[in-house]
Amino acid sequence: MESIDNLIDSLAMDAAPLKPAPHPLQLSLGWTAAAALYLVVSLWLSGLRPDLAQKLQETWFFAELAALALLFVATSLSAAVLAFPDLHQMRRTAIAPVGLFALFAAILFFAWRADVPPAPLPVHSFECTISITLFSLLPAAWTFFSMRKFASTHYHWAGSIALLSAFSVGALWLRLHEVNDSIVHVLLWHYLPMLGIGLIGWWLGRKLLKW
Amino acid sequence: MKLSLGGDQRAYAQLLQASARLLRPFLAKRLNSASEVDDLLQEILLSIHKARHTYDGERPYKPWAYAIAKFRLQDHLRAHYADQLHHAIELSEVENDLPENVTESGMSYESISVEVEKLPPKQAAILQLMHQEGYTAKEVAEKIGMKESAVKVAAHRAYKILRKVLER
Repeated sequence: MESIDNLIDSLAMDAAPLKPAPHPLQLSLGWTAAAALYLVVSLWLSGLRPDLAQKLQETWFFAELAALALLFVATSLSAAVLAFPDLHQMRRTAIAPVGLFALFAAILFFAWRADVPPAPLPVHSFECTISITLFSLLPAAWTFFSMRKFASTHYHWAGSIALLSAFSVGALWLRLHEVNDSIVHVLLWHYLPMLGIGLIGWWLGRKLLKW
Repeated sequence: MKLSLGGDQRAYAQLLQASARLLRPFLAKRLNSASEVDDLLQEILLSIHKARHTYDGERPYKPWAYAIAKFRLQDHLRAHYADQLHHAIELSEVENDLPENVTESGMSYESISVEVEKLPPKQAAILQLMHQEGYTAKEVAEKIGMKESAVKVAAHRAYKILRKVLER
């Protein structure tokens, strides 16, 4: 008991004025703005797919992009909430990506059903996964770096969601850049690796966000 | 907490005291010994101090403090059970010894002290303190500034080495 009193005294002596952490919405907004800027600059350098205007007229392509963008926003917000010990008392926001993943999967299913006759598979395959991963490295690094300043008590989930958020920016970039109409290819080499990325994020969360 | 974030040391000390009063029964319900409760409570107070910038004073304080307490408690229990598993002895490890008299080994610390001295210095020191001078693992840990679990692991490794040497 005496040692606890001593500890409290020494901690109180150490209590200098401190700036509270920003609200998760503000934090997420910063990450989203940075990612949007990164995406715009990257697309400006790498170029948009030439048939983008025409493709955007297609319902399922547009729905896929919209869902992916929403997924990015939701994962970014969820990662910001997960960076706080008490989830900033916004538990529903933390689990919001689950619903959006379900919506995204449903849209991909309908896009696959609508792909009749199936568009030819491109000659490349895993190169897309590598491109998305490389593109995602920078947003992943800044998200993790930023999250380390907080105190996550759900570091596994926080790592997973943060990496999925970064990966969704990469997936969005490739979908806007690459001329490819095969939904099977997109499913196999763009989106299915998200499962692996989630697991890597789970592991990275333990390594980088444990405090 | 709002006042303490502004640097008010008295308000902060009062908040930590109130947190300790709040969390002690929570921990006491879940842990066996009073010393364990005290150790973990200190760790939680340190965590609250370290994470205090993540609390803005606008939302209820208790859920925030309990979230940190639960997090540290889970960590503690995970480490505790991992330690127990690490030290659990497989039946296969001892089945060769079962027909023998296991209560009287006829072996004293003095009879193997030469082998003990050949161990890495830290392991030798731990065995000497535990088996020659009669300290418990916890007391040895305090004496040489290591964690109790680390002392047990070092002793376990030393036993393994000694067993190999003595079986030759």
